[in-house]
Amino acid sequence: MASTACFVIVSKNDIPIYDAEVGSAPKKEDQAYQHQFILHAALDVVQDLAWATSAMFLKSVDRFNDLVVSVYVTAGHTRFMLLHDSRSEDGIKSFFQEIFLNPLYLPGSRITSSHFNTKVRALARKYL
Amino acid sequence: MDPLRSYLGRLLLEDVTPVVMVLTTPLAEAACRKSGLSFVDMLSPFSLFKKIDVPVRTASDQPYRLQQFKIRMVYASDVRKQDCEVADARIKLVVSEANEKALPDLLSDPPQLKDVLNKPEAELCPLWIKKFNRELIRTLSFSDHETFDHPVACLLVVSSKDKEPISKFADLFNANQLPPLLNEGIMDPQILKHYLVLHEQQDGPQEIAVNILAEMRTTLGLNDCKLLSINSSTQADGSDADNSWSTYKAHGLHNHEGTCFLNMDDLNEIKDFMQDFASNHIIPYMEQKIRVLNQQVATTRKGFRNQIKNLWWRKRDDVPEAANGPMYTFTSIESQIRVLSDYAFMLRDYELALSNYRLLSTDYKLDKAWKRFAGVQEMSGLCYFMLDQSRKDAEYCMENAFTTYLRIGSSGQRNATRCGLWWAEMLKTRGQHREASTVYFRISNEEPSLHSAVLLEQAACCYLLSSPRMLRKYGFHLILAGNSYYLSDQKQHAVRAYRNALFVYKQNPWSYINNHVHFNVGRWYGVLGIFDVAIKHLLEVIACSHQSLTTQSMFLNDFFHFVQSTGEKFDVYKLQLPVFNMSSLRVVNEDHRTYASNADVDVNESIWQELEEELIPSSSVVRTNWLDTQPKSSPFRNNKACVCVAGEAVKLNVELKNPLQISVNVSGISLICQLSTNLNASETGALTTAAEEDIASTKPSISTFESDGNNFTVSKLDIVLGGGETKRIQLEVTPKVIGILKLVGIRWTLSDSVVGYQYFEVATQKKNKKGKRGARRSLNTNLIVIKGLPKLTGYIECLPTKAFTGDLQLLTLNLRNQSEHAVKNIKMKISHPRFVIPGDSSDLDLEFPQCLRKHVQSDSNTVSEGTKENVKGSLFAFPQGIKIQGGTTFSWPLWFHAATPGNFSLYLSLYYEMESTTDIPYRTLRMHYNVEVLPSLDVSFAISMCSSRLQEYIVRMDVINKTPSDSFALNQLSCVGTKWAVSTLPSRDSISFVETIPANQAVSCFFKIKDLSTSSCIEAADGSCGSDIVLSPGGSTDVFDVSRTPITDFHYQERHQQGKLAKVPRGLLDFILISKAVAVNSSKSEQLLSHHTCHCSALSQNPVWWLMEGPRTITHDFSKSCCEANIQLVIHNSSEHNTTVRVVTSDCMAEKSQTAPSHESASGQGGWHDVSLENDIKAIASTKGTHSQKQSSESISPFVWCSLSSAQVDLKPDSSAKIPLKVCIFAPGTYNFSTYELHWKVHSSESGHVDENVTSGGGQGYPFYVNVLQGA
Repeated sequence: MASTACFVIVSKNDIPIYDAEVGSAPKKEDQAYQHQFILHAALDVVQDLAWATSAMFLKSVDRFNDLVVSVYVTAGHTRFMLLHDSRSEDGIKSFFQEIFLNPLYLPGSRITSSHFNTKVRALARKYL
Repeated sequence: MDPLRSYLGRLLLEDVTPVVMVLTTPLAEAACRKSGLSFVDMLSPFSLFKKIDVPVRTASDQPYRLQQFKIRMVYASDVRKQDCEVADARIKLVVSEANEKALPDLLSDPPQLKDVLNKPEAELCPLWIKKFNRELIRTLSFSDHETFDHPVACLLVVSSKDKEPISKFADLFNANQLPPLLNEGIMDPQILKHYLVLHEQQDGPQEIAVNILAEMRTTLGLNDCKLLSINSSTQADGSDADNSWSTYKAHGLHNHEGTCFLNMDDLNEIKDFMQDFASNHIIPYMEQKIRVLNQQVATTRKGFRNQIKNLWWRKRDDVPEAANGPMYTFTSIESQIRVLSDYAFMLRDYELALSNYRLLSTDYKLDKAWKRFAGVQEMSGLCYFMLDQSRKDAEYCMENAFTTYLRIGSSGQRNATRCGLWWAEMLKTRGQHREASTVYFRISNEEPSLHSAVLLEQAACCYLLSSPRMLRKYGFHLILAGNSYYLSDQKQHAVRAYRNALFVYKQNPWSYINNHVHFNVGRWYGVLGIFDVAIKHLLEVIACSHQSLTTQSMFLNDFFHFVQSTGEKFDVYKLQLPVFNMSSLRVVNEDHRTYASNADVDVNESIWQELEEELIPSSSVVRTNWLDTQPKSSPFRNNKACVCVAGEAVKLNVELKNPLQISVNVSGISLICQLSTNLNASETGALTTAAEEDIASTKPSISTFESDGNNFTVSKLDIVLGGGETKRIQLEVTPKVIGILKLVGIRWTLSDSVVGYQYFEVATQKKNKKGKRGARRSLNTNLIVIKGLPKLTGYIECLPTKAFTGDLQLLTLNLRNQSEHAVKNIKMKISHPRFVIPGDSSDLDLEFPQCLRKHVQSDSNTVSEGTKENVKGSLFAFPQGIKIQGGTTFSWPLWFHAATPGNFSLYLSLYYEMESTTDIPYRTLRMHYNVEVLPSLDVSFAISMCSSRLQEYIVRMDVINKTPSDSFALNQLSCVGTKWAVSTLPSRDSISFVETIPANQAVSCFFKIKDLSTSSCIEAADGSCGSDIVLSPGGSTDVFDVSRTPITDFHYQERHQQGKLAKVPRGLLDFILISKAVAVNSSKSEQLLSHHTCHCSALSQNPVWWLMEGPRTITHDFSKSCCEANIQLVIHNSSEHNTTVRVVTSDCMAEKSQTAPSHESASGQGGWHDVSLENDIKAIASTKGTHSQKQSSESISPFVWCSLSSAQVDLKPDSSAKIPLKVCIFAPGTYNFSTYELHWKVHSSESGHVDENVTSGGGQGYPFYVNVLQGA
């Protein structure tokens, strides 16, 4: 399992609708904003890449020092972004593919389901 | 773009230029000092030649012309690697200087997106950053692995005042003073030397100098000696000289002393000297050197043979790897190639330079001299760029150089930075901004924080310039830069960087980012002493609920620290701490509806309206009435406006929430109000709308709404909100005069330092109006204040919030009239008459529960009849005469009975009218209480017909105590009404009763009840057989009168309620069980519980009762004859219809019955029994069950019915008939004459209405034992 892994789902209009620190490293206060910064900045790159490729899984799109941002873009242009420091691309791909949104989800609203939360964390343990 | 015109091109043309090493005598230097300049300073403005126009011929035969040329003049003492700290200090100075310039900028508003986009590139990357870059590159000057910084020539200067100038030249070029580069053999000490005599015109005529020059020319060479005259101006501050020099001041040279002895002639002379020096000496020297070296390289390295040789030689010479590769002296071929290529680069023969660099790079690579290899790669990259050839190659070279520099560790770090800077410039020139920013970011990692900050800022700029614009990256890198600035103690730069990034994160839902940016900007502004901006930014973050406790307290502490630093109270509009939930806002104004407590307001208006339906006069009538009397009160017509009464507080409920985990102290929460005393309708409207617009557009300063003590008073509330706590608060404003009261907003003080205020949104008000909710529901902030009215306040004294089922209490309703005027015509309505009923005025003085005791003289049976009417409607009108005068308190008794378990909301509404004529003719006082009724005793009755008596029933009472801990003592059981008499079973007379039922226990008791109405009972006169039976040991003194007012009223309610639930259409009778709670401590007043069980009926009810009557003991002499016993069957028709009853006797009889008499039935009788033990069990079984025909068929009955086998009688309703029967007995013994059956048929007048099994039926005879004895 990756020591650092920050998973964020970003809605079509760039609002984070879900975020979770799924890494095994103890959560530090000052890292929270750093991760957000990196992921937020990576959106610029995603914006470029998303239209250039037909693949949904964009692999590693951006990096900051030793942290890598992997992105999975859904058809509705909701982005699953994972900030991580491990390199198992297959694992990340599986992780993304198993995370699917509820079809009854109201686009743009925040995800607050605790069930979803536990599921994300379980998947993170499994694949990352 | 022509690379030469690009920024990088110009940079290279200026920086990679020949170096002239300057050696001066102290006297010569002193001469220059007179003008406040050093010798180098004096010459350097003239070392740049914009149009030198010199033909150059390098390796090729084709000459070309140089247009622009520059030489660098450097003191010999400076020709050394720079001290790291000095260099860093110089760079820091560059940054700090820019810092001071940035300060005024910080006070203005942060830039917006469009400002940034419209900015030209030059402004994005200000001049000081370029200067910084150059300074950073300059720290690497005179490194030993590159030769372009190695002096090309040496300028030796003596003053004309020096003695023996010729020998001075020799002294100057003494090896001891020369820079280490020349001494250590890295560069050739045999360089071009130029000798100069400096003459000061002030000191006298030029002859001496000319003489010295002539002497020099003879000894040192004809061409290499020059004379320079300076300080021609006699006046210290020659005006023309000042002006002429000022044009060069732009080069960063400042004449600090303000004196200058150089005049125009001097300057021209210097200029001419430099021109001559460059074009006639330096360039030709370099040309020649290039040609010589090129020849040398061609012979040793070019050609196939040489290459093989070279390779072989390198292989053999495979020395163990040194840190920087092998040492190369100036004589080595590698150094010579490097010199050759650097000279070629400086003379802009890039092709020649490139070919040699490439040649060299393979050599260095083989030698593993990585630093030199990287340096060569770097230069070839620049050559590619200058030639504007293959971009790919250029980038490849730069990247190669960069990574190689990084690989060799700390010694190559700064070189990597320089390489990166050049590389990034190169990419920028080609419009590859994104790649450039990546390079900047990479080099920023290798540098100390200050340098990295500047580099990151450049990276950010590149993201902004890239296409498409990458604003988020721009913001992120600015934040990184700001952070680095902060680390290197450059707060103003830090703030500037963050500020520039602000627009990227504006309205950003990424909470952590937002908090970080605003917090840091705010904090740094605070450190800089700009508190207002600091506070503005910190306000954005203080209400962050998602942060951890420590972060929140850090935010809050800093915020308060800065607020206190300002030393004044801050007014903050829409302060986010605490959060006022505006949707929870409710204005409570009491017009004709008044409330006993605040909680009552929350009750749905429809409940009240339903309750008050009968209570208040219909609204339309009322309105016309009081509007007619008040024709001027036109504002009331638009019923949108709410009404409040002067002198009475208008309350406003609002929820406020502390989003933090820290508790905050909120004080002085109060309303902001306006009260206009002008009552003119049209003007009022104008005023209100004007005010609304006012608030909507320009939020007026809070100070204008300071409490206007003359017109109204507002309450101030201080609370402490714990972490995450939500509190509902009530604010009050009490208008004192008539007018229009407008609630504008709320203000509060946070921790005694920050005043927050918030206005009510006008928009929500409109929305609510549209929603057509109740007028009071909507947030109507405009209230019409009317003249003061009488108002009643009231409460029910000691109404329990928890009670046991059946709890009976006497309560007092206290009403207080706080005004001066009396109120009259008071009426009351209670939502649950089952629970609360109003008492009588006389009840007030009674002592409870003693008052309920049955007294001998009590004859109040008639009272209950009177009150029943009132109870029915649950509308209670107080006696007409009652008026509550101003300032007095009025009490009225109320009876409370907890009827059924559960939670109950009790609503009371009091209606009263004003005695004097007022705007509102009546008001209502609404009270609301919640009562939780706990289960206590569960009482159930089972009634069965008594088989031995007519008109009597056996009652089993099951009482279960359902409480977990309390015990109850049973006091009495009463039947309601006079029709029934209850008594204990005869056998129970002597046995003392169960007094108390402990928790979770159950008890069953048996009683006998008797219908007194039909049969004229003798016992009725007897007191022992009344409708009450005392169960407690206290005796008859403790009997409560169930026919008195509270109990009977409640019973009526119970009867009504239970009748609705009961499935049986007609109940037989009602029971009231009165019990007492056994108080744990005796101090508690006696608690009385009454349980009402209504509509009890017998388990199986037959319309016909029958009973055998006759002698129980017969003495007969059987020797004479058989015995004939005359018995009679009494049949009673208790149904309402005519009934036909047929009696059938049969002689078949169970033989056992003869010898098995029932103990129970016979116990009351005298006589003897033939008891056999083995038959006992069977006998009990058989007597309890019905008779078995099967048994009887086996034997002949010992008696026979002899009068008739069948008889039929018709019975009228409620009448009895007696059928005489005769039994013939043959032997003495005990006989059970129960072998008869009854069949009846009810002749219902309306058949079909009554149930089938009731209309006809039948029954076995009851056991009737007769002892027949042998008489004498």
